[in-house]
Formats: sequence, C-alpha cells, structure tokens
Amino acid sequence: MTPLIHVIDDDASLRTALMRLLDAIGLEARGYASTGEFLLHPPPDREGCLLLDVNLPGPSGLDLQEVLHERGDALPVVFLTGHADVPSSVRAMKAGAVDFLEKPVAREALVGAIERALARDKIQRAARSEAQQLERLFASLSLRERQIFDLVVAGKLNKQIADELGTSERTVKTQRASLMVKLGAESAAELGSLAERLRRARPPADS
Amino acid sequence: MCEIESLRRWATRCVGHLLGWGLLLAAAGAGAVETRNVLVLYSNGRLVPGNVEVEAGLRSAIASSADRPVQVFTEFLDNPEFNGPSYEQTVVTYLNDKYASHPPTVVVAVARESLNFMLRHREVLFPGVAVVHAAVFPLLNGTDAALPTDVVGIPIEYDIAGMLQQALRWHPGVKRLVVVTGSTPRDRDWETLLRAKTAPFGDRLSIEFFSSLPTADLFRRLAALEPDSVVYTAGFYQSGDELNFTPRDSAKAIAQHSAAPVYGPFSTFIGTGVVATLAPRFDTMGRSAGEIVNALMRGATPASLNLPKVMPNELGVDWRQARRRGIADDDIPAGAAVQFRQPSFLEANRTASILGGSVILFQAALIVALILEHRRRRKVELTLVERGSELAHVSRLAVAGELTASIAHEINQPLAAILSNAEAADLLIKSGRADRGELLSILDDIRRDNVRASGVISRLRTLLAKQAPRRQPFELNATIADACELLTAEARRRAVTVVLKTSAEPVPLDGDAVQIQQVVINLLLNAMDAIGDLPEPRRAIHVTVSRRAHKGTVTVSDRGHGIAPEHLAKLFDSFFSTKLRGMGLGLSITQTIIAAHGGRIWAESANGSGAVFHVELPERAEATAAAQRLETA
Repeated sequence: MTPLIHVIDDDASLRTALMRLLDAIGLEARGYASTGEFLLHPPPDREGCLLLDVNLPGPSGLDLQEVLHERGDALPVVFLTGHADVPSSVRAMKAGAVDFLEKPVAREALVGAIERALARDKIQRAARSEAQQLERLFASLSLRERQIFDLVVAGKLNKQIADELGTSERTVKTQRASLMVKLGAESAAELGSLAERLRRARPPADS
Repeated sequence: MCEIESLRRWATRCVGHLLGWGLLLAAAGAGAVETRNVLVLYSNGRLVPGNVEVEAGLRSAIASSADRPVQVFTEFLDNPEFNGPSYEQTVVTYLNDKYASHPPTVVVAVARESLNFMLRHREVLFPGVAVVHAAVFPLLNGTDAALPTDVVGIPIEYDIAGMLQQALRWHPGVKRLVVVTGSTPRDRDWETLLRAKTAPFGDRLSIEFFSSLPTADLFRRLAALEPDSVVYTAGFYQSGDELNFTPRDSAKAIAQHSAAPVYGPFSTFIGTGVVATLAPRFDTMGRSAGEIVNALMRGATPASLNLPKVMPNELGVDWRQARRRGIADDDIPAGAAVQFRQPSFLEANRTASILGGSVILFQAALIVALILEHRRRRKVELTLVERGSELAHVSRLAVAGELTASIAHEINQPLAAILSNAEAADLLIKSGRADRGELLSILDDIRRDNVRASGVISRLRTLLAKQAPRRQPFELNATIADACELLTAEARRRAVTVVLKTSAEPVPLDGDAVQIQQVVINLLLNAMDAIGDLPEPRRAIHVTVSRRAHKGTVTVSDRGHGIAPEHLAKLFDSFFSTKLRGMGLGLSITQTIIAAHGGRIWAESANGSGAVFHVELPERAEATAAAQRLETA
C-alpha cells in the first residue's frame, strides 16, 4: 500500500499545486482547506504524513499537531510556513515536527522532508505494532504471573520471590515456567529484554 | 463739544468761587488792610472796542493780593458826543463827590481826550495823584514834551515806514505808492504826517497823494491802478465832495475799489479789505499801563520809571486779502496777528480728519497685517502639509513593518504555488506522463498566481510610496476594499474576521486614495489590537461603506473592550496611546488626513460593547452638483 500524504493549506491554489507535485513524484495526496476539515475526515490507517500550513484560519497547524499528538496516533508532520518566525518553529519542533519548511519550497527539500516523515511513520508504526503484540502477550498473564514477572525482571531469586509473595518456592517455580511459555521466553535474560521493550513501547504517562 | 465747553466753564466758575472765598477769608484774617484804588478814565464810551481791550489788558496786569488789595474803578468821558467846558465841570463835580470816600492812588487816562481832561483838572480833582496815560498818540499834538513829571505813560506811534517796508517785501515789483487822505483838519494832520513819513521812499517809488478827492473820482482812479502799485491810507473823515466817513468806512471803500493792495495804520481796518496794518495792540497798551500802576503803587517814583519811548507795533494781517494779493503764508512774519484765516480742510475738520486718517491708516495696517498673516499661515500650512505627508508616510512604513509577517505570507503563497506547479510540470514532462490538458491548467494556475503576487506588491508599493498627497477622483468602495484586502493575511494571522459591507451605489470622492486607505488600515489594526484577546466568536471587525447626504461614510466597528470615556476625548491627540508599544500617532495622523480631505472622524464607545469609528468624507463636488441638479430637475 502506497503512503498517503495529507496536505492542509487554506490556499486552494497552493494546495492544488502541492498535490499536483506530490502526484508527479508518485505519492498519493489528499487536500484539506482547514484543520477542521482534516479532523472531520479521519485518515485511513495508512502509512503517510501531514504537510501542514502553520497559519490557517481557525485552529492553526500547531494546534492540530498538538491534538494529534495527544491522541497518540500522530502522523509525522512537515510544517510549511510563509514566514518562519522563531517561536512557532521552536514550538513545532518540540512537538515532534519532522521539518519546518519555508514557502516557497524547493522540490528536493519537500521530497526530503516527506521521505523523512514517511520513514518515521514506518518506524512508529512498527513500534506501535510491536507494543501492541507485547501488550497482547502480557494481557494473557494472570495477576500472580505478572507479579512474578516484575520480580524476576528486578533480579530476584525464586526463594526471595516466594518470601515476598508469601508462597512456596515450588509454586513460584511452576508459575514462572508457565509465564515463560506464555511469553515465549526461554531464559531470564529474554524476560529482561521483553520487559525493556515493553517499557519503551508504553508511553511514559502510562507507566 | 457743548458739554465739554459748559463743563470747562463750570470748572472755571468753581475755581473762581474758591479763589474769591479764599481771598475774602484771607482779608478777614488780616484785619484792616488799606485798600488802594485805581481810577481808569476813558475818553469815549464804555463799549468802544479799543476800550474793552485796554480794560482787559489793564485788569490782567494790575496786581491785587489779599494783603495788598487793589480796587479798579472805571469812568467814561463819552467823547466826542459830550464835550465842552460846562460838561467837563459837571464831570469834575461828579468825580469829586463820588471818589471822596475812595480816593484813587493812581489815575489812568486812556486816550488823548482823557489825558487832556486830567491835565486840566487834576489839581482840583486828585491833587498829587500820579497819572498814567495809555493809548495816547502824541504826534498829532505837539505839547507832550511838557507833561508833568508825575504824568507818565508809553505813547503810541504808528510805524508807517515799517508797514511800507513790509508791503514792499511782499510786493517786490512795486514802483508806485498811492496815499489816500481826506479834507477835515484831522485828515490834514494825517496828510502832513504821511508826507513826512513817506518822503524817504521817494528814491525807490513814485509817491502820489489822492487828497480830498471826490469819491467818484477817487474810486475810479483807485480802480485804474496798475499791479505795480500799493495804497496806504489812515482813512478819512470827509471826502473831497464833502461826504462824511469814519476812517474805517473810508478804508473799506478804498479797499473795495482799489486794484492795488491797501495798507494802513489801524488794526480796526482788518476785515474791511485792507491787507495788513501795523499798529500797537490795545490790550498791550492796557497791560503796559497796568504794570506802570503796579510799579507806582509799590512806591516807585514816576521819574524813576524807565519807560520805553514808544509802544511796540504789531502786524495785523487779513489772511483772505493776503492770499488774494499773492502773499504766501510763509512770508507772513512769525509774530503777526493773522485774522480770517480759513482753515484748510484738515484744520477745519481736525477731528474728522484725524479720525478718517486713523481709520485709513488702521485699515492699511490691518490689510498689511492680514496679508502677512495670510502668507505666514500659507507657509505654515505648506510646511504642515509637507510634514503631515511625511509623517503619514512614516506611519505607513510603521504599518508595513507591523504587517511584514502577513505580507510575506501573502506573497509567498502564490510564489510557493508557482514553484510547486512548475516543478510538477517539470516532473510530468520528464517522466513522459505529461498530458496536455493538465499542463495547460498548470500554466493557467501559474499565471493566475503571478498576477496575485504582483497585486500584493503593487498594493503595498502604493501604500508605501513616498509621494506628495494627490488630489484626484477615487471611488470609496474600491479603495476600502483594497485596504481590507491588504489586511486579509494579517487578519488571518491574528485569527480575526474582517467583514466588509460596501454600499450599493458607488461613492465618488476627491482626494488621496492611499491616505484614505491608510486611515482604514490604521482603524483596522487598532480594532485587531482591541479584540486580540477575545474568544473567537467576538474576533470580528465590521467595515461598512455607505453614502448619504452627499457624504461618503466608513464605519469600523468591533466588539472589543471599547474606549474608556476619559480616553475618548484625547483619542485623536498626538502621542496619546494606551498601547504598550504605541507611539500614539496613528489616530492623530488619521485625523489630520481626514481633516485635509474636508471630512471628520469621531469615535463612539459604549463601555464593554466595543468601539465604532466613523469617518465622514464630502463627496466629489461635481458628483454633489450633479445630484443636486437631478433633485431639482
């Protein structure tokens, strides 16, 4: 499936020109005249990015970027601006913008920015699908198995775990073997690596 | 005038009263002071003009004071109507009886007959009393050398030679002197005197006496005189044909008939047609006599008085006759008593002339002042216009600075579109996927965006161009729409909606469209500042163009915080600003511009519900006129 570029600019003429150019490059594009219009037409779950004008009537491109970021399914954003003032560009980059391009944009710069955005989208998508997979794995663990997992990852021995949970070492051993099967791990080291991946996949706010 | 005159008289009277009372009081305080008496005896009647003048001079001179009071009594012999020995005796008895209680200290005898009377009767009347004579003309009576030592006075003499010399100075070309005399004994006396006095002029002039001529003959001969002649006469009592005259009447007749100017010895001749006379003045005679009386009463002896031999003569001139005889004012000696001077227009209408002159001067000064003022004002106006337009330009530059971001955006949009379109076309062509219709529409878009960008630039250039204010016809709706257009990007940047409502019919105006745009831009930017922090639904500015009563109006209203009532009055003052970084010039310049267009600008604000700025501009004159024609048709 080819990537889909979302072009958001209130200037019809420029929007058309940009979409024409993207088409010529071989990218599929969709145009929106305002941030509101984009929000009303949720993008399909496809690889892609946003080509977003900073100054828009109503909520600005920066506002949209913030909203999308909060929802967590943010498509990478390439900003376009007529006048790159420092405060807006800083705000945009801090919020994770891929690039901040000043109009008029040369094709190379535009193509480069879009490629970077798509690459990031690809990475983000991969990360997201892995995280989802991990979540699914962990969802299959019982409460006691999760407790044992956390303590194992923390480097505790079976005996210490049994003491902490107020159960026998034998029971811990059995449940540990069960969770390792569920997670498809063969050693404590693999469990540690899984834990690390899980930590990274989860947004910090959730931890 | 009358009021002033009566006031003056009243004041004089008051002073007189005060003096009188003062004297009276002083006299009472001093106790019994001896009052001295002066008796003045006149030869003829009380009302003879000469006597009146002598009396005035005499009384002005006699020194009377509280400690040395002097009383002056006057008596009249009433000559020549009353005379003869028995009359004289009656008068002597009368005076004797009358002045027994007030014996005179000094007697003043005025004129020859009075002096003779006193010389005859003084031993009986006032023995040992000094006599001062006045107005006595001794040369007609040779006995004066024998006057007693206590009879003193300054005799009078008519300066005949002096008069003739003055006449010759006035008429340098004169070759002939005619002297007119009569036939009575007195006339004969005068003839004798005149023959003696004129004789010295014989070497310069041919002298001719018209003596005792019949009047008809006399007048004919006088009328036939050449312009190289002058006439001298003392008048006469009787003519050759035995007609009686007074000297004055005869002088009058002579002057009337004479072709040549007439001169004489008596000041009374002035007014009869005689040009000038040389004679002593009667009031001077009186004053001189009064001074002698003073000296005698102070105790001086008559012999010790060092009196002049003769009374000075004074030139009297009839101004009308002098003018008739070609004598210039400048040639009349300074001391002369000039009578009948006809005042010049300026003299006659002094007040009116001064007033008129002042008014004219004032007017002239006013006109000059007004012209200067007008020029000065014009200069200032020109400077103001220059400065004003410079200031307006600077203010526009400031506005442009404020708009940089939005202007860049506005220019960048079409440029960006053009670039993208061009690159898209380039790619399409290179990849061989180009389809003709697509390429054409790309080119169309490029062209359209190009026009768009240059539109922005040209609007901006118009706004920023530094140019003298121009006065040309423009249409208000289009101008305001342009201004709003220029601010579209800025409005978008600030998330403000500008709603423009133009008028249905065009509004033709005269003036500088750029400046009017500047005004609207100023108002719009102010409104944007006012509503910048409001929630989005209230961030709207309404611009309305309308036309009514031959006026174009623009209103700019917002729903911001409004204008504080105390600020409303100062709104258009220079350097008044409520903004942190405001210079306070925007609205001041705005008002200057509107005023220069003959319009007005004002603001309204109901607190909390926003501000409304009204701009009212007069319509183009011809449009107004046309509309009026239509209305009246």
